[in-house]
Parts: sequence; structure tokens; C-alpha cells
Amino acid sequence: MAVTLLIPAPLRRFTNEQASVQVEAGTVAEALAALDAEYPGIRERICEPDGRLRRFVSVFVNGRDVRSLQGLETPLRDGDEVGIIPAMAGGQ
Amino acid sequence: MIRLPRTCYEAIIEHARREAPFECCGLLAGKRDRVERVYPITNRADQAADLFAERGLMPRAGADPATLPAERYFMDPEELFRALREVEAQALDHLANYHSHPATPARPSRTDIEFAAYWPHVYHLICSLADPDQPDLRAFRIVDGRVTEIPIVVEDE
Ligand SMILES: [Zn+2]
Repeated sequence: MAVTLLIPAPLRRFTNEQASVQVEAGTVAEALAALDAEYPGIRERICEPDGRLRRFVSVFVNGRDVRSLQGLETPLRDGDEVGIIPAMAGGQ
Repeated sequence: MIRLPRTCYEAIIEHARREAPFECCGLLAGKRDRVERVYPITNRADQAADLFAERGLMPRAGADPATLPAERYFMDPEELFRALREVEAQALDHLANYHSHPATPARPSRTDIEFAAYWPHVYHLICSLADPDQPDLRAFRIVDGRVTEIPIVVEDE
């Protein structure tokens, strides 16, 4: 499946400032692996060494948080958009 | 310097007052150094206790997650994603994040500084309601843990 990864501004230094990257993948995990093959180092910003999604990162398939879908095993279809954003959080 | 139209300035303060005693949060988008739009985002800190606990940033050990939004903010991820897409669709730039400190001064906390590490290229605005009659809105750059205050110029249209 040809899918589009939407790269958030804080991670674009890994992708030569590209805001989107096309890869072939059947699941979100495969899409992140394909992204890392093209731009080494970016995956560890998104996933823990054991492969789980980092708690402060959210990944979306067509705007839906994969935590409410099937996580990194969420299947992808041709033309799907996979978004990535780090948390925006803080306090007083 | 960050230029803020008075309507945007008032929208941020109104948002902070509406959510008090909880923290409000959102994005500011515009062009160059001038804000054009305010995107309020829902504070889901009550669902992010694990995120704060993992970094030792819970306000108190065993704090009730339901009370967390009074002292922490965590922007709803799906709303945040939609807002960032909307900013791009409008051909604007994401210039800043904002949140409120309902009871403390408008200075970045340790929690603010830690999480700002992921967003070093945007300004961080804080609206303090410590004096409810005198809201205090300030802007900061936070890069590698270093905090620099940036002047806000409120513009009358
Ligand atoms: Zn704060």
C-alpha cells in the first residue's frame, strides 16, 4: 500500500525538512520501519527500544489516534495518511 | 517580539478564565511574528497521569487524575492534530503554544521546560490568573532548557 507519513515540524530535521514522506506499508509499524530505512534515527524518536509507541508521541491514521485503533498493528490501505505528533503538555 | 492582535489577546485571557480553576491550552498560528488565529484545545491532563508520572512530574505522589488539569495540561492529541492540519491548510505557520497558570506566576515551570523540548521552534505563552483582576500574559522561547522571555506587542486593529 502506498501511504503518506505526515512529519511534524520537530522531526523534519531527520527528513531534510520534508513535511510528508511516501512509503509502502501494510501496517503503521511497517510504515515507521520504512520511514526509518529512508531516514535513519527517526523511529527511535517515535518508539521505545522495545518497539512500543513512546508515551509522549501520538500516531494517527486518517486523523484517528492509533491508541483507539489497533496501535502500531493498525492496518493501512492505499492512500492512508499517517500523522505523527509529540505531546504538547506542561503545567504550573 | 510576537505581535498579537487585541482580539487574540482577549481570546486567550477569556479561555483561561473560562477554564479556571483548570488550566486552558491551545495553539497560535499566523505569519512571521504576527498571530492571526487562536486554536483552543481541550486539556486532557486527567488522561495523561502516566505521561507525567513517567518523568516524575506529578504534582504530588498519588494525586487524583481528575484534579490534574488544575496543575497540568495535556492537549487532546486528535484535536491537536486536526488544528495543526488546519493551520497548514490556511497556509499559516504554527507560531506558539499557550496555556494558563490559574494560581501561579506566568513563568515556565519545570514541567513546561521538560515538555518544551519537543517544540523548541515555537513560542510558549503563559497566561497567569494569580491576580484574577490583572491577567499576566507572557511569551518565552525555551531551547535546550534555557528560557528567554520574548516581548508581546498587543496590536489594536
Ligand atoms: Zn505552565
